[in-house]
Order: sequence, then structure tokens, then C-alpha cells
Amino acid sequence: MKQVVLGGLLALLLWSGLTAPVAAVDNAQLQAINQSWSKSAHALAEVNCSSCHQPQSAKQVIQQPTHESCRSCHEGQVDTFLLGKHGIRLLEGQPALTPALAHLPMQAAVHDKQMNCNACHDAHSVKTLPASVDSCLTCHKDNHSLNYKNSRHAQLLQEEGVLPRPSTVSTTCATCHLPRQTSESGTVMVNHNNTYTLLPRDRMVKEVCMNCHGMEFAYNSMFDDDLVESNFARPPTLSLDTLKMVRTLETQRSGNATSK
Amino acid sequence: MAKTQKSFFSFSTLFNVRNTVILLCLILMGWLGAAFALDHKTIFLPGVTSNGHILFEASCASCHEGFKPVTNETCMRCHEAEMATDAHGPKKFRDLRWAAELEKLEVLTCTTCHNEHVHMFDRGVHLKPDLCMICHEGIIQGELASHKDFSPDGCWTAGCHNYHDHRTISTGFLRQNMGQADMLPKPALPERSFKPELKTPPQPDLGKEFVGGRA
Repeated sequence: MKQVVLGGLLALLLWSGLTAPVAAVDNAQLQAINQSWSKSAHALAEVNCSSCHQPQSAKQVIQQPTHESCRSCHEGQVDTFLLGKHGIRLLEGQPALTPALAHLPMQAAVHDKQMNCNACHDAHSVKTLPASVDSCLTCHKDNHSLNYKNSRHAQLLQEEGVLPRPSTVSTTCATCHLPRQTSESGTVMVNHNNTYTLLPRDRMVKEVCMNCHGMEFAYNSMFDDDLVESNFARPPTLSLDTLKMVRTLETQRSGNATSK
Repeated sequence: MAKTQKSFFSFSTLFNVRNTVILLCLILMGWLGAAFALDHKTIFLPGVTSNGHILFEASCASCHEGFKPVTNETCMRCHEAEMATDAHGPKKFRDLRWAAELEKLEVLTCTTCHNEHVHMFDRGVHLKPDLCMICHEGIIQGELASHKDFSPDGCWTAGCHNYHDHRTISTGFLRQNMGQADMLPKPALPERSFKPELKTPPQPDLGKEFVGGRA
């Protein structure tokens, strides 16, 4: 019975998709979209409207392309996105994640925002700079996120001014939680699995912090809850016992070495 | 007895114990069946799902193939990348030097240590607090006497050791990187290199289809 109802609904959906007008876009909106696109990296890479809205596999115009359209060019990015909390519901065939479903504090105004590629990236303008901080702060309202703007990391980004995309000097939300990785073939890709470099913190030390910071500085920062909450507003004051133990061990070993 | 038979159709026999039990069973079956058919499968959950899995806990098939136990393959479908550097993986225990350890704890399957829908500890996975001690207690009492007074669950709850990823918490790694400056000389994140092929953008296509057009 359920299958019959579902089948009926699906048929209705397909039928309406085939006959309904493509989109309620007026000329002014289309002009704005075209203009934004013509200045984008997509345009210069010959990714035209039809590349996403009417790919060869589709019979009709796709009004709202999904991550599958992006995937045809950005396979690694989409695949990693689907493994993180942002995308896992799509991977499992469930409706997209919305901030309403999150356990972390989220901005109330966007509780129904659907988490897909377009949630962070405007596919028409293709700018990775907004996607590196602003897109995150559209939804996230926890202290760590809100304190980013007061951090030394944010200052570095600001000092650099408007960039086409965050440079290796600036440190954004994405630098730590969606870091660039070089594959074996040498291609640079952003790992879009937002939970891959999040926890446990010691993995972040190796994967992210130590790209710029020394080991002890990184450990003493990452294991100070207050410092993480303040988004690293000050240099670390912690002095981990683990590090002291390794120092003691080192002295013992060098002591033994000299006595021999 | 005779009295009961006489009043077979009476109101009181209709609600005797047997009939009530049958009725309750039917209600229960109906309720469970409806929950299953209407996709409210969360009522079958035996407990709280971990933070990591809660977002798709309603799609049982993500982890459970029918009523079979969860396999390594189901876990690895999502966690392959994290496990690429697994120091305690099956590969280690297939090495004859460590194979005997399997008699203490059968660590070839994820579910030996991790359980879902049960009480969770800090790192988002269920672990019995003193799992490390099953194999490492001897070492701590001997060679690593410096660890003697530590609590058995402290290995990982204190943030010092990571069972699967040893890369940063080995003594060797810490020794090697002791005394580094707070800021390393150069950020090591790779620079992205995208070079567009065109100098001027082409004409946008599909304009007609979007302004009042039909597919």
C-alpha cells in the first residue's frame, strides 16, 4: 500500500517536473546571475549554465542542481562533504541537514536552511573567501565560532584584505576544519568532511595546528578548554604534564648517555 | 467452572486474562508494525545514539543490514580516511609478533570496543574505560613506571593517547618536536593553483529556459 502511494507521489512529481515552467526567474534576476557568473572562475573554466542546469544526463532543465551536479567536476570535495556531519544525511538518502537538527547553538533565523553545496558556496559567483568564514557564521552561534572574529587568526585574514581566496597565511574556519590537502597525485583539494579535523583534538594538532605552530605551542593550546572556547584569543598558558614527562625522559636518557 | 461456561458471552469473560493479553499483544504488534511501516524506526533504538551518528540514526540501514551484526565494512564506509593511519588495525595483529594479543582482546572488529546506542564517553564512542590495560598493564608496571599512578581510563580521556592514530602521541614524535618555536618558519598549507583557460567568459546559455520558458 505504502509503495503504491509513494509510486503515485513520485509519478505526480515527475509529471509536474515535466510540464511545469522551469523557474520563476525574471529578467532582472537572470541578468544579475549572468553578470555574477561571467566574472566567476566557473565562466572562465567554460562551466556554463547548461553544465549544471542541463547536463547531458538530464532530459530537462534542472532548476536547483544538487551536489550530484557539483560532483561531476568536484568529486573529492563532494565525496568528503558527504562523509562529514554536514552531508551525511544526503549520503544516507535523508532530507538535508538543517541547523534545527543540530546540537550546537545555531542562529535562529536560519533554522530551516538546507545544508548542501549552495549553503556555503554561491555557485554563480564561485568565491571561496565567504565560504571560509562568513558561511560558517551564518549558522553557527557557539562561543568558539562567535569568538573567531576577535582572534589573532581573524586579524591575519583581515590584514591581508580582500583576496580571491584565503591565502596560506590567513587562518579561517576552513583552514582548520576544512583544510587543504595535497593528494598523492599532487592535486590540492579541500577536505570537506567537517568532522575529519574537529575531534579528537590531538589529530587536529598534527593535521592542522602544526602546519604553522610548533608542537608544544599546539598541544598547550588545543588541550586548554577555555582557550579553545575563546578561539585562541591569547597565547597558551597551559603546560601539559605529558610534555614534562617527555622532557624528564629526555634528561634521563642524555644523563645515561654521558655517564656511559 | 460451570458458572464460567454459562456466562461465556457475558461481559466479564470478554475481558478475562487471556483475551486481555491477546489484545495487548495485538496492540503492541500493530504499534510496532505501524512504526516500522511509517518510518518511525527510532522507537526501536535501544538507547541514546552518539553525537556522531545521531543525524542519521533513523536510517537503520546505514549501519544494519537486516538483523545482522554491524560489520567493519559498514563502519569503514564512512571512516576509511580516518582509519588510513590506524596503528592498531587488523594489519598489526596479523603480524605474528602481535597475533597472540588477540587472545586477550579480539580487536579485529570495530564492535569489540565500540558500541552504539549505549552510554557514551567524551570522544563520541562507547569504550569501556580500561580497555588499554588489557594489553598494556604489564608495560606500565615495568618499563613505563612513570605512568604507574595514572587512572586506567586516563590513557585517552586525558587526551594523551589515541588508539587508532599514534602519529602525534608517540613519545618519539613528542621528543622529535620538543623545543620548536611557537611559530614555525613558514605555513605549510598548500597554495591552491587554479588557472582558468579562458581570458574572457563565453556567452551564458539557457537564458530563455529560465525566463518563463518550458523544459
